[in-house]
Amino acid sequence: MLMRWFMICFFCLVLPWSALAATEIEISSPGEQSIPLALTRLLPNKGPESAQISGEFNEVLDADLDLSGLFRFVDPEAFLDDAQRIGLYSIQVDFPQWRLLGSETLIKGTYKIEGDKLTIEARLFDVVNRKLLTGRRYVGEAKDVRRMAHAFADLVLKELTGEEGPFSARIAYISDLSGDKELWLMDVDGKRPIRLTNHRSIVLNPDFSPRGKEILFTSYRANNPDLYRKEIYTGKEAKLSYKQGLNVAGRMSPNGREIALTLSKDGNPEIYLIGTTGRIRKRITDSWGIDSDPSWSPDGSQIAFVSNRQGNPHIFIADTFSGQAARLTTQGKYNATPAWGPKGERIAFTRQSGGQFDIYTINIDGTDERRLTFGPGNSEHPRWSPDGRFIVYSSDKGGNRAIYVMRNDGTGARRLTKLDSDCRHPAWSPRW
Amino acid sequence: MKAMQTLKLVLIALFLCSSLIGCAKSTPQMDQEDVGKSDMSQPSEVKGADEGSMKAEVVPTHDDIAGMERINFDFDQFTLSAEARSILGNNAKYLQANSGTNVVIEGHCDERGSDEYNLALGESRALAAKNYLVSLGISAKRLSVISYGEEKPLSKGTGESVWAQNRRAEFKAIK
Repeated sequence: MLMRWFMICFFCLVLPWSALAATEIEISSPGEQSIPLALTRLLPNKGPESAQISGEFNEVLDADLDLSGLFRFVDPEAFLDDAQRIGLYSIQVDFPQWRLLGSETLIKGTYKIEGDKLTIEARLFDVVNRKLLTGRRYVGEAKDVRRMAHAFADLVLKELTGEEGPFSARIAYISDLSGDKELWLMDVDGKRPIRLTNHRSIVLNPDFSPRGKEILFTSYRANNPDLYRKEIYTGKEAKLSYKQGLNVAGRMSPNGREIALTLSKDGNPEIYLIGTTGRIRKRITDSWGIDSDPSWSPDGSQIAFVSNRQGNPHIFIADTFSGQAARLTTQGKYNATPAWGPKGERIAFTRQSGGQFDIYTINIDGTDERRLTFGPGNSEHPRWSPDGRFIVYSSDKGGNRAIYVMRNDGTGARRLTKLDSDCRHPAWSPRW
Repeated sequence: MKAMQTLKLVLIALFLCSSLIGCAKSTPQMDQEDVGKSDMSQPSEVKGADEGSMKAEVVPTHDDIAGMERINFDFDQFTLSAEARSILGNNAKYLQANSGTNVVIEGHCDERGSDEYNLALGESRALAAKNYLVSLGISAKRLSVISYGEEKPLSKGTGESVWAQNRRAEFKAIK
């Protein structure tokens, strides 16, 4: 159910719930607390050795867990001989060795290669209480090793914080690597990019359906900015809205039944709701100015958007039912690209100040505004990870525009795409 | 009569073709796992890199018109400056003299700011130019608009002189 591309066998791990409750570590926001973690390399379990498998698993897991900001890694150089011993059960682990190194948590695991088949068993231990916390057996092929590592990173976060990680998801974005602006898809660490469209025109504004696996985007393929939908696995593509003028910024509602988008069929850009067949259901905005860039609240009852109805572009929030709108941002002269966070309380957006664009977040009642980026260059197009821990965005601080990710407090920023093309407009998929 | 028969044959042939294509498309979908796996097997890095070596320029859809100059705008504005109005006045004279020329007005923005907002802004710029030409007596039927937002900059790079060039409306002949 969780991941169809390789089988997961839930390994039956009997956990006494009382012990679990005692060891659960309370974490409110990333970066605030760091848990000492020893991340050992996978060991071969009765089969051929592969430094590539163990190395890649380790590298992916290390990067994901590091991005989470929850951990302080114990230096692998300091590891003692238990790191070289297979330990899938707590009875096999020499916990005092790990205590000695100051570690409170420990990840161990094995891999087994049988022909094309790869089996990875990974375990998370509580060193202080000498307990197995969680574990999984992943069965797939050698090329699935990165996905297995991302899946285990998601599981580790779930075990320690109660909220699953977002590392098994994907990021859609626009890149001109092929010569034209096309839609691309990559892993959340920027690896394995795949081009999804071949419109040889201009493709823009990708957004995922709430169940993933389907992407909305705008393309000029037919010489008008029309809205398309594409099924990722079948490659099936359909034109959804192709009214005269703009059919842009399509965003599917949380229940997947409606799409908010900007249409300018009557000569002025307004936000409308259309059904999944493309038929107009409702007009949300009605102002003389530009209304664009809708973003749904997680419950679908409200839509944040950009409007210059009071002069400069600012973020507004409209009631989906009544269309009644109130202004959210009061500072700055150019606020745009609102992205409503998955927890519902905060909205990320872009503001121009001092000639450059930076990313901010704000409570939906207008309080507690925080600036997350401070240049150099322009940081734009924030989008949340499905767990709300991270924000993916584009920045031109490296010369060419590239996709970056950071924690939701602005720390831990890292670049995901190469600098050999112009990459922009990322969207983080729901959990895959 | 003969023409009718030929037409019929062509239609039947077309129908057959389209139904064949339809069949090809409606072959049972592979289940997601298989397709997902084949996706994964694609050499992810190489694929894009190969094509990156043969960069293609965006082919203009419409032709420039020698007699019609482009106009420029201030940042985040779509109001027409005095200079833009005088250029539009000349463009209107050209259109009056060349009554067979129909025009698409392209609205463009500089690269800064939201893509989505800029698409809207580009359209407002194109519409501002269109409405002014209509006020000078050009039939609205001869003028269509399209916004490219920040997607087709005239010159690449950064800095106010580059951005100022890119904030523009262009006039292209409809083929």
